[in-house]
Amino acid sequence: MEIVELHQLTKSYRRNRGIADVSFSIEEGEIFGFIGPNGAGKSTTIRTLLNFIYPTSGSASIFGKDIVRESKEIRERVGYLPSEVHYYDDMRVIDLLTYSGRFHKSFKEERLKQLASRLDLHLDRKIEDLSFGNRKKTGIVQALLHEPDLIILDEPTSGLDPLMQHHFFDLLHEEQKRGATVFFSSHILSEVQKLCDRVAIIKEGQLMKVETIESLTKNKVKNITVVVDGAESVSIELAGIISCEAKASELKILYSGDIQLLLKELSGLPLKDVLIEEPSLEEVFMHYYES
Amino acid sequence: MIIRREWKRSRKSLLVWSLILAGLIIWLLSIFPQFAEQQESMDQLFAAYPDSMKDMFKMNELSLGTLIGFYGVEVYMMTTLLGSIYAAILASNMLAKEESEKTIEFLLAKPVSRTEIVAQKAAVVILNLFILNAAAAGASLIGFQFAKGYDVPYKIFAFLTIGAFLLHLTFAALAYLLSAIMRKTRNTLAISIAVVIIAYFFNMMSSLSEKIEALKYASPFYYADAAAIVNEKQLDPLSVLVMLAVCSLCFFAAFWVYKRKDISV
Repeated sequence: MEIVELHQLTKSYRRNRGIADVSFSIEEGEIFGFIGPNGAGKSTTIRTLLNFIYPTSGSASIFGKDIVRESKEIRERVGYLPSEVHYYDDMRVIDLLTYSGRFHKSFKEERLKQLASRLDLHLDRKIEDLSFGNRKKTGIVQALLHEPDLIILDEPTSGLDPLMQHHFFDLLHEEQKRGATVFFSSHILSEVQKLCDRVAIIKEGQLMKVETIESLTKNKVKNITVVVDGAESVSIELAGIISCEAKASELKILYSGDIQLLLKELSGLPLKDVLIEEPSLEEVFMHYYES
Repeated sequence: MIIRREWKRSRKSLLVWSLILAGLIIWLLSIFPQFAEQQESMDQLFAAYPDSMKDMFKMNELSLGTLIGFYGVEVYMMTTLLGSIYAAILASNMLAKEESEKTIEFLLAKPVSRTEIVAQKAAVVILNLFILNAAAAGASLIGFQFAKGYDVPYKIFAFLTIGAFLLHLTFAALAYLLSAIMRKTRNTLAISIAVVIIAYFFNMMSSLSEKIEALKYASPFYYADAAAIVNEKQLDPLSVLVMLAVCSLCFFAAFWVYKRKDISV
């Protein structure tokens, strides 16, 4: 069953770019990634789905219910973590979470305690004294508290240290096992690759593609920087090389193919240094998705 | 849920405003007996005041020597003006604060409709104003005890109390509508307080010259004017109607605007 369905959803602003004709759907029980550079329209899409803003045209449904007309019923079963967490400064963490939970019918205090201890969150702190990371944790607990059927996360990992990120991903997998669907927006490709089943890629308000992670990783693109004397005269002939630029003693290669073959080729060169890294989203878009 | 939360958030300032207003009322009424004793010399003093000033403060329409006249000029001015400023501050913060501090992203993600948000927050505004007015009325009743031997015309007092409450509601409704339209509390608050003060001056100035007399109709203060209530011994039904109409229009418009607003922070 489709939990979320978008039909040519459009939100246009007078000055800023919104989103145009976005259509995709999310299946029940999957972890669905939503990836694109900052300002691509990820938050706009999410805010439209939650009816913070009204669509200009097109439509969308969650749990088969219309996002505008039946928004309140939808939100009963949705957990949302905004990209920037802002809460009432005069409250303590426990007050905020209880206030949040009581809006929902399925609120249980044990679950609050459980989630807080899993994320190592102190409930007695004042919201205004919280660090950025602790604010985010409060937001995560708030989003998962009422056992929602759909969890919408807008850039959830910013501000979390790697260990906490790991706990958080475990938590999301457990939620998935419980039967929840997860909609996960991010601008970091590797994060989405680690967690999601499928991804939608958005750029400048347009949906580029919806793909399974499998096909994304099959075409794993790497950015390789090699420091070698006389870089300009070095030439590497391999099937997976998308681009190769030489600058002074540096060679920049964008590669998508068997990593073994590349390493074998590189080992024959008089290397001084080598750097293999994830390409930025922009590079992936430029060299892969548009070709 | 939201009612309880907003009540908790606003009760401290409600307490402070109520105490200050009640204290001022009791203090003012406690000096009335001395004031009335020296009325003859006072009358001479006031006779020396310029007419325009007497017009502005309604001193020629109300006699400061009677308890209710004194109440109308001195105390009522305090309750209407301070209460209206409180109403403007309270209501202008109510909706815009959530957007200004970006907490609205939390609230809107909860299973609660925008109509419910506007209605519950409006209920807290009305409740707080009711309590403030009850405190002012209670303080007045205590204050009247200082004036032994003077008749207290309770009926007129009741009309004045209702008039002040309606006036506060009117300013609250105007500020509430602004709060629904605008996104930043700073602007909402400044405009709301400015509206109260300008309205107050409109009403004062309008009695100075025939040319600008029509200004008074634009000021909510005119519709709860003490001199009219004391001299007519009633609250003009038309005035009540005007204030109630402005209130309901503004609250209704606030619902309408908020329901259709794109809220992104």
